[in-house]
Amino acid sequence: MKPDANDKPAAGKHPLTSDLLLLPDGRILVHNLTPAFAGLLKELNPDDEQIRLRSLPSTEHPT
Amino acid sequence: MISMVQERRSPARREKLGVQSRDVRDCSKGTLKRELQRAGPEAGVPRSTLARERAAAARAALADCRLCAHECGVNRLAGEAGLCHAGAEAHIFMAQTEVSDELELIPTFAIALSGCDLRCDFCITGGPSWNPRAGEPVRLEILAGQARAALADGARTIMILGGEPTIHLPAALEIVAALPDDAKLVWKTNAHGSAQARALLDGMFDIWLADFKFGNDACAQRLAKVPDYVRVVRENLLWANEHSELIVRHLLMPGHVECCWQPVAEWLASSLPAVKVNLRSGFWPAWHSARHSDLRRTVSNSESAQAWRIARNCGLNLVE
Repeated sequence: MKPDANDKPAAGKHPLTSDLLLLPDGRILVHNLTPAFAGLLKELNPDDEQIRLRSLPSTEHPT
Repeated sequence: MISMVQERRSPARREKLGVQSRDVRDCSKGTLKRELQRAGPEAGVPRSTLARERAAAARAALADCRLCAHECGVNRLAGEAGLCHAGAEAHIFMAQTEVSDELELIPTFAIALSGCDLRCDFCITGGPSWNPRAGEPVRLEILAGQARAALADGARTIMILGGEPTIHLPAALEIVAALPDDAKLVWKTNAHGSAQARALLDGMFDIWLADFKFGNDACAQRLAKVPDYVRVVRENLLWANEHSELIVRHLLMPGHVECCWQPVAEWLASSLPAVKVNLRSGFWPAWHSARHSDLRRTVSNSESAQAWRIARNCGLNLVE
């Protein structure tokens, strides 16, 4: 999650940023999904196809 | 269910272009100058070399800025600001590897430039997109090093986005010049650029990933404060389809299936029938969405189903 987009550093060592919105109906909306966060979401819901496809090792991503 | 909210030209396509010659207005002198009479990459000129030349031309063009379709004509080199409020130097608010874009593009090393020429009240990155000084100034060497590291780590593409990168075309082209010539580059844009911007971009990016947000000018004016939107976007998409690979995105908005998505889908079906289309239903009421009663919620399941029906009925070439 990001503290303040205006303050985010952009070069050198800096935290990676993903945003997510949890909806009351159980849906999760994700923005700026990093590979690390995709891995976390996959652990939470291994059956979700969207996340499964996005958490593959880079060599196995579909074309 | 998890949804993604948002958001190179192949050698064959490059070869199709042949030798390019472009008139680029030398704004500092008010004369037309044939600036880019150079052979394209097929003649052995590396992309990085062309990008360096065009970056200089783009920077000169800031003296009478007409990079986006607003064509403000302000002198950004002298500190004047147009509708985007951007100065002459670009800032970056995010640079990282992401996997939320189209499957054929990920992992992508995404470089987000601050500032935008549109004022979409629902912008997911409203803070840095509306503030061209957010983040840090572009530091080419660091950025290029990060991009190379990402590529070595398995990133499939490098994506330049915003905000809207068109308003920072000099910096964007300088970034291209600093990247490996064989890297697959994606231009993520709102498709509101000018003819001048398109000429400077010709041959620089392998893929245009372009938004078609609104299906009519009234919604565009009300929600993004942009006039003449549909004509400009159509013009850009038709050009992009001829000059690069193109993926068109539409972010489905609540209450805008019939007024926005349907006309967009019908136009794509008739004018760009084979183009890849990504229909995104993960709208989230960010930034100033609450200013509009229709944008204070997410897309309902029934709206999403209706939108997919329209897409299927139009026979669109849908991608994820």
